[in-house]
Amino acid sequence: MFDTEREIKDTKIHLCLDCGKCTVVCPVAQYEPEFTPRLIAQRRLRRDSSRPHDDTIWSCLNCYMCVERCNYHVKFPEFIQILRAEAFSEGVQPQCSHGGALQSLMHLMSLEELKQDRMGWLPQDIELSEPCDTIFFIGCAPYFDIIFGDLGVNTLAGIKGALRLLNRAQIPFTVLDNERCCGRDLLLQGDREGFLALARANMEEFARHGVKKIITNCPEGHYTLKVEYPAILGNAGIEVMHLTEVIAPLLQSGEMSLGRIEKTATYHDPCTLGRCSRIFDQPRQILGGLTGLEFVEMEESREKSLCCGASPWVNCGAVNREIQKQRLAQAEATGAEILVTTCPKCQIHLKCAQKRSDGKAPQIEIQDLAELAARALD
Amino acid sequence: MSKQAPNIVIFACNWDGLSCVEAASQAGYCYPASVKVVRVSCLSRIHQGLILKAFELGADGVILLGCEPGNCHFDIDAGLVTHEYENTRSILNLLGLGEERLVIAHLAHGDGYGFMKQVTGFITEVEQMQPAIPVKA
Repeated sequence: MFDTEREIKDTKIHLCLDCGKCTVVCPVAQYEPEFTPRLIAQRRLRRDSSRPHDDTIWSCLNCYMCVERCNYHVKFPEFIQILRAEAFSEGVQPQCSHGGALQSLMHLMSLEELKQDRMGWLPQDIELSEPCDTIFFIGCAPYFDIIFGDLGVNTLAGIKGALRLLNRAQIPFTVLDNERCCGRDLLLQGDREGFLALARANMEEFARHGVKKIITNCPEGHYTLKVEYPAILGNAGIEVMHLTEVIAPLLQSGEMSLGRIEKTATYHDPCTLGRCSRIFDQPRQILGGLTGLEFVEMEESREKSLCCGASPWVNCGAVNREIQKQRLAQAEATGAEILVTTCPKCQIHLKCAQKRSDGKAPQIEIQDLAELAARALD
Repeated sequence: MSKQAPNIVIFACNWDGLSCVEAASQAGYCYPASVKVVRVSCLSRIHQGLILKAFELGADGVILLGCEPGNCHFDIDAGLVTHEYENTRSILNLLGLGEERLVIAHLAHGDGYGFMKQVTGFITEVEQMQPAIPVKA
């Protein structure tokens, strides 16, 4: 299923001019001088025997900033994923953050016989259409809120907001009570076997329920279901849309409207939703639909948006913390009261920086876009 | 066909917890070989990752065995482990595996009989739980 040399060729890494522009824009290289994408490429392509396992490969955030700047659009993050898969298959593993809890959770979620009990949070007022070939893919929010509850993380508020927005838009949908994690974090850290187990379990679940369309609020889930699953398991003909792609056109056309929120807000583009999926305008259109909301852009936004410093739950350390503090400082500099994002992982990592920096990181309120927009529905 | 005993992992604190295990073996009590004891310096060393890893590797149940309240060798007491214990039980519920698969026991120093009662009682409970967690290949 995986042909490493073919995959390396597809990343266009051979076109690397050794110009170093990727290193200039890379948020990790800014704080970790050892990390230089072009040297990582050189070492692997020349098969540098003095360094059989390049331990710098685990520092990449997969933020796609380098691809944005590269003249040839060399897909360095995908190259890194291949190197990680190679290392992983040889038994080299990164240092797992959170004691490996997320990795174990993802592996447990791939058990075939699993019958999850994960819908206890679903509010009574949400209208589900049964049967329905459109589903809302919830993602790992119920798990995140337990694991990261001490950080004040409430990613389910974003999910509830998303469901209320879909109800208001009169879009019929249902939810699957046994959906699994999309597996993107396992894929990014090189555990392809683990990823495949989750992908197959999800695809079987979709097939069993005759799913034709998936709407999700999670940028990682959106990209994985839309791009990675078809690339690896073949196209099953399922349309995958991000919530903002569904709601923004309705606001633009006037078919749906949002109420008033008297706040100043700025928007943090999650790397996966922005640079990977190229969804930049729709979240801003939703914010624009909120009457009374003053929207301000951060210094680095859209294609140039700074990563939240998140990793696929590996190697989180001082470098990631500096990037997070830098992003929070950019948000604070706008004078906004709320930092809006659409990614649960961005929310977790930025809140972690706020909580664990002894009050030195800006304490701006962080909210999910769907949560904020749904607040203006009443 | 004889029924296989469930895989039980016990994280025992080095102090009162482990003394119970040693007392049980000195008293000649028997328990199935599928019960694995992992010694840790203190139950505060335990976090969600370690507990979930035990389940990932095929444990059907996990016991956290520590000192009685007020007896912690490090004066940390149960605060840290309680947080991890509660969180992990909630995760096991979401996974549909059931929070009953994880228990915490605080035993007095050298309580071998109490340890035996705890282990055999837990094995009986875990045997009644369905489905069993398959061991990963």
